[in-house]
Amino acid sequence: MLPARPGPSRPIEPAQSGRVLAPLHRWIWRDVDRRARKLIRFAETEAEGGRHIAHAAELTSDPLLRRLFLRHALDEERHAGLFRGRGLQLRRERMADRKTDTKTGFDADWLAPGERGLDRLQVGEMSEAALLAFLHLSEKAAAERFALYGQMLEDDPETGAVFGNVLRDEVFHMTYTRTQLTRVAPARDRRTLWRARAGRLWRAYLRIAGALAGLLGGIVLTVQYFLLLPLFAIAARRAARRETGGWSACPARDKGALESQY
Amino acid sequence: MRILGISAHYHDSAAALLIDGVPVAAVEEERLSRHKNDAAFPLAAIAWCLESAGIEPGDLDAVVFYEKPMLKFARILTTVLRAFPRSRRAFVHAMRNALGEKVWVKGIITGELGVARDKVLFTQHHQAHAAAAFFSMPTERAAILTTDGVGEWATLTVGRGTRTPGGPSSLELLREVRFPHSLGLFYSAFTAFLGFPVNEGEYKVMGLASYGKPRFVEEVRRTIVRTADGAFRLALPYFDFQESARRSFGQGFIDLFGPPRDPYQPIDLATAEGARYADVAASAQAVLEEVLVDLARGLRLETGLSDLCLGGGVALNGCANARLLAESGFERLFVPSAPGDAGCALGAALYADRIHFGQPDRELPDHPFWGPVADGAELARIAAEDGLPLSKLAADGALYEEVAAALAAGEVIGWMDGALELGPRALGHRSILAAPHDARTRDRLNLHIKRREEFRPYAPAVPTELAERYFELPSGGARLGRFMSGVFPVRPEWRSRLAAVTHVDGTARVQTVDAAMAPRFHALLLAYGRQSGIPVLLNTSFNLAGEPIVNRAVEGYSTFRRCDMDRLVVGRVMVTRPRNAARQPEEAVA
Repeated sequence: MLPARPGPSRPIEPAQSGRVLAPLHRWIWRDVDRRARKLIRFAETEAEGGRHIAHAAELTSDPLLRRLFLRHALDEERHAGLFRGRGLQLRRERMADRKTDTKTGFDADWLAPGERGLDRLQVGEMSEAALLAFLHLSEKAAAERFALYGQMLEDDPETGAVFGNVLRDEVFHMTYTRTQLTRVAPARDRRTLWRARAGRLWRAYLRIAGALAGLLGGIVLTVQYFLLLPLFAIAARRAARRETGGWSACPARDKGALESQY
Repeated sequence: MRILGISAHYHDSAAALLIDGVPVAAVEEERLSRHKNDAAFPLAAIAWCLESAGIEPGDLDAVVFYEKPMLKFARILTTVLRAFPRSRRAFVHAMRNALGEKVWVKGIITGELGVARDKVLFTQHHQAHAAAAFFSMPTERAAILTTDGVGEWATLTVGRGTRTPGGPSSLELLREVRFPHSLGLFYSAFTAFLGFPVNEGEYKVMGLASYGKPRFVEEVRRTIVRTADGAFRLALPYFDFQESARRSFGQGFIDLFGPPRDPYQPIDLATAEGARYADVAASAQAVLEEVLVDLARGLRLETGLSDLCLGGGVALNGCANARLLAESGFERLFVPSAPGDAGCALGAALYADRIHFGQPDRELPDHPFWGPVADGAELARIAAEDGLPLSKLAADGALYEEVAAALAAGEVIGWMDGALELGPRALGHRSILAAPHDARTRDRLNLHIKRREEFRPYAPAVPTELAERYFELPSGGARLGRFMSGVFPVRPEWRSRLAAVTHVDGTARVQTVDAAMAPRFHALLLAYGRQSGIPVLLNTSFNLAGEPIVNRAVEGYSTFRRCDMDRLVVGRVMVTRPRNAARQPEEAVA
């Protein structure tokens, strides 16, 4: 496992929006069960992000980028281990005190996400410049979030230390991605960054629109379920009662059976 | 004829290309997309298959999908209706799922590949399993048993097949067990109960079972009831999969076996809870085996045939396979390298060729290596760019001796050779190899390389002709070991010297390596035997946790760089990990 890096040369401060919402974040992180669940979820995101970045290393033809991406992937895996370890420790402590169960609850993932987006990277579909810009913005946002979360956890210094540890790597990641973006696309690094920002906004819109469409679709389907299905359900249940399990004959198939989808 | 087989949309998407009755290419989508268990329509796999054969989609005579999507949709809808009004969430989930893509397969195939609609065919799910299990195996007459979670309606089928070299073939499915009564879903319920992911963690249940005592067998038998006709049905009140998209087992199940395991908590076998999980796993495994053996015995008596071909995901259960071989009365048991849904791509193409188009039987190469070839030159280029110690050996013999010496010295080696395997097992072309003697090697692999649960065993590979010296193989055992499909006892006198590959119950999932099938891997085993005295190596799949098995050399290299592996070999190119290297130079450029 890689050693932790020394602290950043300049401290990372929470974003303005995060500072405004500090009381809300303090409330989110106060609940120990939720804290444990969020850390475990962060671990999954980091691990998946690490796999995608390793894939980016496999796809690039640039040796320096390959080495940096591999290093980055190892960092993400180390973060996953840190988050998972601390999350599980919190769960164990709570379970030992019989203060918790294993059910899920309200985790406020929209308000307090981990390293958002890395787990859904489509590295094969992005140019190297676009990927570096995306990574730079993601790491910067994550660094600001983790700085904020660390500040919310004065009463849990161990979890705070995990965020501090991860934060040092995030600074390295946001720095190298910016430096490399300038190297691989010197004439269009700013434009690429703006495009990446627009892309993040677009993805945020898609997330909201998708969630809304899902909600509306769910309502429509639920209405259909209760309006249209009852009669068919009665027939289906009657038919089910005639089935006893055990062997059934295989349906006879004619020569053209493969042309049918039924 | 040029026939493309496709499996997709549930788990393990794959494509396979058949030309004049013989496979020329087959690969799982996950190996190319690098998303484990990729269920997406396998565009990359299809593109690679066509490209490797040098043909265009328009050159295809048929594209065969491995199941009938509308029949499957009808089953899903019927299941939801039967559970009304408790199935509201399942209905919403199923409709979104099915109407999004899964029922429009014909349109997707014609749209993506540009083939005519009348060229798109659909086998039944278990026909594809049966065809993969029978037509790809070296037997001319065999009984067939396929069993998995569920296809359209069938969850288990029995039948028989015949082949006449150069002549016609037949494949007849005699009868089936239908959803929701399913051996695969029965086992998956225990997989979920034990805190492992369904469709992925079933082999963990099998590994865990060896640590337990089957003290819950009677309770398990209450969940799966034998029927008067010799089949079985599930006692549905114990299960939830037919009503819920989220849970496989119900409250009755919990009342029988106690609280389910929290997936996030490690299993500590020294505790009473850990022992209970192992006992539940052992009991589920025992009942699965007794049902399978009983079904196979009936099939043996009915058909009078001496060979059994086994297909479907349940055929990956090596312990059950070994018991089937020992107790069912069949003399030979054939399990293809990919008995699960990925293999259905090949099965669907074979079924269409032999049965639908009535093409003459062709003898198929008896190996699993149908994927892309690893390129040593690619590794040489990358390693040189990164300044890693690199050697290119002029002759295979020198390579085997050097690798064998490194293995004997305790090194862990990534071994990539030739074409990628089809199926979940690494059979010597995309393997991580290590010495099998010391249990500490297993611990190192678990902790620093594979990063997986400590209760899971590692498999040994041994030359076929030497296997019986180290392992208690029954008649037909070597055949089952060809694709690592059976679990057999390690001979007691060798267990301490094969500690890293001997499971807690004294067994091992043996791979018997045939010189004709994998000549380089076979030669390496012999070279290792000359140096260590035992021609057995620990062989595990070349991947890290959560990742698919590596395909290209660069993926092997990426894996090598991210874990504690000592060497990487691709063809005749070998890279060695520098020890005590200075701080990563890339830090400076940031």
